[in-house]
Amino acid sequence: MGFTYPTNGNPNRRTIDHGGVGGRASSDEFGRAVSRIAVAQICESAGFNGVKNSAIEALSDVTIRYLIDLGKIAEFYANLAGRSQCSVFDLILGLEDLEQVKGFIGSGQSQCLLGSGTVRDLMRFVNCGDEVPFAQPIPNFPVIRQRKVIPSFLQMGEAPPSKHIPPWLPALPDPHTYIHTPMWDERTSDPREDKVEQARQRRKAERSLLSLQKRLLLCSGSVETRNTTSNVVVPSGGGASLRQGEGEGGDKNPYLKAPVDNKDVSPVPLPGKLSDDVDMIANHVSVLEAFAPAIEMMRSSGVLCEDDGMQGRTVLPAVRPTVYFKFRAGKKLIHESLDMRNQKKDASRTAALAGREDERDDKKRRAELILKQSMENPQELTLL
Amino acid sequence: MNPNHNPQSSDGGRHDDDAALTEFLASLMDYTPTIPDELVEHYLAKSGFQSPDLRLTRLVAVATQKFVAEVAGDALQVYCRHCKARQATIPKDKRDRQQKDKRLVLTMEDLTKALHDYGVNVRHQEYFADSPSTGMDPATRDE
Repeated sequence: MGFTYPTNGNPNRRTIDHGGVGGRASSDEFGRAVSRIAVAQICESAGFNGVKNSAIEALSDVTIRYLIDLGKIAEFYANLAGRSQCSVFDLILGLEDLEQVKGFIGSGQSQCLLGSGTVRDLMRFVNCGDEVPFAQPIPNFPVIRQRKVIPSFLQMGEAPPSKHIPPWLPALPDPHTYIHTPMWDERTSDPREDKVEQARQRRKAERSLLSLQKRLLLCSGSVETRNTTSNVVVPSGGGASLRQGEGEGGDKNPYLKAPVDNKDVSPVPLPGKLSDDVDMIANHVSVLEAFAPAIEMMRSSGVLCEDDGMQGRTVLPAVRPTVYFKFRAGKKLIHESLDMRNQKKDASRTAALAGREDERDDKKRRAELILKQSMENPQELTLL
Repeated sequence: MNPNHNPQSSDGGRHDDDAALTEFLASLMDYTPTIPDELVEHYLAKSGFQSPDLRLTRLVAVATQKFVAEVAGDALQVYCRHCKARQATIPKDKRDRQQKDKRLVLTMEDLTKALHDYGVNVRHQEYFADSPSTGMDPATRDE
């Protein structure tokens, strides 16, 4: 047999020590590992306490080669005799071939294979030696993995697209995997409908605001003069005092004040222009005056009456519940809008001192602003 | 061909051998070789050996085990010979210390020598160099 065996020829074998890290694992890794264990066990039974890594790798590789060579030679002898399946005699011949290097008893004589020295040695080995079974159970390998096969046209129930494709071939992929069709938003935009919808929302906002103001008027009328804590400012006229009042109003801003208990009335901060009167009653009048035309219009159209059940709630209880305001960070903040409103009222107030018509226009403008803002925050309509 | 001239005894001998072989193959089924059946079957299938008979597989496994055991035995003998040769040169007290903690380890040099008898020439790299000029005399090294 003689062949030269270079030990470090296989670079992949080094990776066995590191578990396959740093190198591609060959497909034979499992077989090599198993033969390593088997060879180590045999060496142990031969009397060795330990084995060097390089030595065990070399010996396991030689073992595998021996197995393969024996199979090849036995198959060769079987084919030589015109058979495809090997018999025991083919094996014995193969063994004799491999053992010719070392020599065995009866190698020189061509005798019946049944009495060959190889077999006798083997028998002696089996009978005398201790039985050392393999250390671990091994599954049947190599394990054949079930490949995911593309179903054929017949299996899919599809007909091939053209005659030249037979139906037993794998089916073609679905068109959605390779065709990309752009998608458009199918919503039809009706500008008239949009305008109608917008007007409807505006009317709704107006209605709820007016009803709120009405309730406030009624409610604050029934409350005694404890409302000194309210943010009713005391300007007599002129921008300077108003600014001072604004400062006071800013101090007494109910938003910044924590509600102590339900008894404490925390009134809604009225717009600065509307709160230029001394007491609330006059204030109410001005508010009523401001919204009178709008309320009249609403009443005439009967829209206010058929509002969402506000009738029953026109008379509020003496104790007013705390009003919770929702602050939304994304949209315009309420306090911001308040400031804006106050600033605008500053500007508009000096201008509106001229005449009542202008005043009314300003108030209408303010009402419009409030409505616009409430429209932009549709969720807050529900609060109102 | 049987060199025996006596046909009857040769027939008897053959029958004996035949019986011995069949008995041996049957006994193989009880014996569990160290090399597992799955490994043997895998590598035999790789080389084209086709046999549905498990006894033949066991026979191959046993033969391989015998081969490896012989190699290991020869390597052990080589090692012992080495040890004895080394011990002859060492003074006595060190020898006692060595004998206490002697661990038989299979090394490449023993294996090489043992496999050489079987016709397997194992070439083992003794050391690895960083570059072709490592270890050379600095005077003769090309700069």
